[in-house]
Amino acid sequence: MQSRVFLVPITLAIVMTAGCADPPTQQIQEAEKALKEAQESGASTYSPDEYAKLEGTLDTIRKEVSEQDGKFALFRDYGKAQQLSISAKSESERIQVATAQKKEEGKAAAMQAQQVAEEAVRAAQQLVAKAPVGKDRAAVEAIKNDVEGLQSLLKQVQDSIDKQDYPAAQTQAKAIHDMSQGVQTEIQNALAKVGRGKPPLSRRQ
Amino acid sequence: MLLGRVNRTLTSALCVLCFSACVQAVPPDLLAALETIDQDMIALRAPETAPEEYRAFVRQWIALKSRAEFDDDVIRWPWETSELENELRGLYLRGERTVSQLHDRQASRQRTAQSKVASIEDRFHHMTSQVASIDGRIVLGERVVQTDLLVKQARTFFEQKDYQRAIQVADEANQALMNQASLLTQELGRYADGERIASWQAMAQQTIDWSRRHQSSAIVVSKAERELTLYKNGRKVLSYPVRLGFNGIREKQFQGDGATPEGRYRVTDKRGPGQTQFYRAFVLDYPNAEDRRRFDLAKKTGQIAPGKGIGGLIEIHGVENQFTEQTLGCVMLDNPNMATLFESVPVGTPITIVGALTGQNAVALALSQLTNHNNREEI
Repeated sequence: MQSRVFLVPITLAIVMTAGCADPPTQQIQEAEKALKEAQESGASTYSPDEYAKLEGTLDTIRKEVSEQDGKFALFRDYGKAQQLSISAKSESERIQVATAQKKEEGKAAAMQAQQVAEEAVRAAQQLVAKAPVGKDRAAVEAIKNDVEGLQSLLKQVQDSIDKQDYPAAQTQAKAIHDMSQGVQTEIQNALAKVGRGKPPLSRRQ
Repeated sequence: MLLGRVNRTLTSALCVLCFSACVQAVPPDLLAALETIDQDMIALRAPETAPEEYRAFVRQWIALKSRAEFDDDVIRWPWETSELENELRGLYLRGERTVSQLHDRQASRQRTAQSKVASIEDRFHHMTSQVASIDGRIVLGERVVQTDLLVKQARTFFEQKDYQRAIQVADEANQALMNQASLLTQELGRYADGERIASWQAMAQQTIDWSRRHQSSAIVVSKAERELTLYKNGRKVLSYPVRLGFNGIREKQFQGDGATPEGRYRVTDKRGPGQTQFYRAFVLDYPNAEDRRRFDLAKKTGQIAPGKGIGGLIEIHGVENQFTEQTLGCVMLDNPNMATLFESVPVGTPITIVGALTGQNAVALALSQLTNHNNREEI
């Protein structure tokens, strides 16, 4: 009998503790902060499906907390919200790392394409300097015009890289490379036809 | 004692019966099917192309999955209906419908992108060939490569199955083409302007009349038709094809612009072998008083930069050699034709250079075709 009496305060203490369960505010705030950081790192662009799932998890956490808040104090259980918050935070951090990696890969690919395009434009410029002022002066001027245009288009590639729009930078660089090669072929064909002579242009007009 | 044993046995049997009668609230294959729906949406690029729909699906999917994972409603009696399972089935049906709609939308977007990219490529090639046929490429400056870039970008995005961006860039290319057509019309529209053509016709007719009145030679050059015609005593004697400056189709404005001037000139000098690098040449009196007046006015109004000169040494000449057939604003003939002309034309001969002599000239026709093609193929 004496030992049973001893159990009463223990039981009461347990009930009181359980009844005073608090929402895992700190974990939720950390998860929300991690989600915001993931968004700022570009996760919504580079990992849109995973980012949407994170948003879904945060939404579920909020609903769960609200559901538990609505219950009688003794029956509240924030365990699920806590576990979800912890997993959302670690998932956000993982996605941030993955996003940074994807961005780096995209940037590296864009910069490589940019370099290839720059080399192709440079080669076209060098060839244009040797271009024969041949049968069709208008065509030669048009080629020069195109090469100048290609040079200025390279700025667009840099702009896209600066804006972190790496897919656009890559497609632009690829197009510039293809166009430069087209110009080079055009000039090489002309050189093959008429030789490498280029007369001085000393006249007014 | 016996009664106690019976009780224990009965209790155990009841427990076994109870637990064996319980069923899982969520069939695992239903969860697997929803995972598949999610993967299908990702494969269809729903997160990028239909973010609202994907977000709505994912919110419900995550909420229901967490209920299943956290053992909410997981065990139930066989006669109980599972709310969670019902909700998952509902989500599955909605997800299936969304996937089907996304699939249709994707197919439609693919068709649109394909048609837009093919159309813009066709229009770009058409414009390029039309512009080349009238030597108008210089008029467009760097716009041609800028548009070419967009056309190629649209194709690459299409090949990467990024139909949305392919459509967006094809639309930009379309706008760039429209701007090019508009610039060409603005710069070369005078070739289709009835009043301007009438004035050119009048200039040419006056030159022919002068030839008849003075029983002498006169030359008329039509820039649009790339043709030089020699008149003697007011009668057409011969016509030769000519090449112009690299920017010859435009009106000459200043030195080095590559344009061939339009106006009434005279041969001020004939240069034979040893006097010109271009086989034979007629030197014209460009710039004449009218050219100077126009130039001064354009400078005053800021149309020509202050540092620019009016230029000079406009000639009708032959070809120096096979490597250097060139002109920066002159009128150039093949050497045999130049030789014939050289013998027939004395110093003082009037030479009238006009844009075009008929409304159906090559430039006007090219502009009209471009406009028609643009209107027909506009996307």
